[in-house]
Amino acid sequence: MKKYAFYPGCVMPTEQYAYEISLREIMPKLNIELVDIKGFSCCGEPIKSVNQMMTLTLSARNIAIAEKEGLDIFAPCPMCHLALTESKRILDTDPVMNERINKSLEEENLKYTGTAEIVTTIDLIHDIVGLDKIKELVKKPLKDLKVATHNGCHLIRPSEIGRPDDPENPQKMDNILKAIGAKPLDYSEKLDCCGGLLNANLPESALTKTGQKLKSVQEKGFDVFIDTCPWCHRQYDSKQIKAGETVAAKLSVPVLYLTQILGLSFGVSKEKLGLDLNLSPVEKLEILGGK
Amino acid sequence: MSIIDLTSMGEPQSQLRAEINERLKKLQGEVSDYCFQCGKCTSGCEAHKLLELEPHKIVALLKRGLIDEMVNSEVIWTCMSCFKCRERCPQKVAPVEILFALKNMAVASGKQIPGNYTAMLQSVLSIGLLQEVKSVTTKESKTKTRNDLGLPEISKPVDTTKFQMMLSKIAVEKI
Repeated sequence: MKKYAFYPGCVMPTEQYAYEISLREIMPKLNIELVDIKGFSCCGEPIKSVNQMMTLTLSARNIAIAEKEGLDIFAPCPMCHLALTESKRILDTDPVMNERINKSLEEENLKYTGTAEIVTTIDLIHDIVGLDKIKELVKKPLKDLKVATHNGCHLIRPSEIGRPDDPENPQKMDNILKAIGAKPLDYSEKLDCCGGLLNANLPESALTKTGQKLKSVQEKGFDVFIDTCPWCHRQYDSKQIKAGETVAAKLSVPVLYLTQILGLSFGVSKEKLGLDLNLSPVEKLEILGGK
Repeated sequence: MSIIDLTSMGEPQSQLRAEINERLKKLQGEVSDYCFQCGKCTSGCEAHKLLELEPHKIVALLKRGLIDEMVNSEVIWTCMSCFKCRERCPQKVAPVEILFALKNMAVASGKQIPGNYTAMLQSVLSIGLLQEVKSVTTKESKTKTRNDLGLPEISKPVDTTKFQMMLSKIAVEKI
């Protein structure tokens, strides 16, 4: 079993419990051990607009905590993954920044050394676990299920920092879904942003962005919408009805975390995947009793 | 130094401002050399249609040194940080990074921080996380906590005093 420090971030462990539950359920089946560590904080990315130095330092701090345990880091939230990766990149290449940030970390007896690798859900499943293992575990193939995948911005951009998939034509999530028998299809709004970060100051506009994308997905006749980002998921699943109101549409699109749909195809019960926490109409899916 | 001092930013912070200014000057040098106003950034901007953000104009204004005007404008707060402009620029200019620097400058200059940013910052400074742990409602309208769902205690800073000390140094003295 490969071990990772489980870096939860903020949004997932304070409200997006379905993601955390389904991750804790399926990762051991993929021979991945998630190690809980005390002391992590926010990655800093959501407050980058306020103070970028704080973002870099908070991320370096979290990396240092995992390094102390001698573990690589699994950050399921793509936004956290971007913040940690960017901080690592800067500290590894800029000696002045490295010294300065490490000086701040001394306060808590921490030191960034640069030994930890940082992965997120998509590269962990696609590149490290591998699709053969996924295929091996499938008990209930999701035959011909028409899937719209949503990568989210932070997962694929900026590629200069090092992201898990292609910035303009991401296919890893689609490949994972093909491995469980589903039928992911490209659509013109695939790369559109959920607007989630605007919640801080322009929540109505954030919902409009969400509604616009989901309306188009609904009109195109997709069966399900799949994501891995707790910020995006909060928009598309938890706030779906409100998002629909902003674009004058009655939205009814099942939205699941990738880890939830993988679990279903592995034959895991819906309770163990936190599916009662999804507020979108997931019961429409055939595998959950829909027609 | 209390949390209130950090977030209200009552006193303009000269050292912090000097440093962000340096960052902006560096970005200005880069755009003056490279940006030829092709508009590719704006054509793909997620905030363009909805909120009229025009990244190529932000770059043009920076090129002309109109920093104060942008720092005082609300438009800098419409960026969704999708990073498409940075990804697609044929000249490797990154309007999104200019916008981050401008917003940092607005905060350091004691301008009012819009929306929930103050609350988010205060929460990070006091408990280390963006928000407190919430209880959620299932589709059957049952309320559930982390504990009800069998999830372990959340990971957050153990010694909050030391954590706050570390952060307050960055927010005020270091930059």
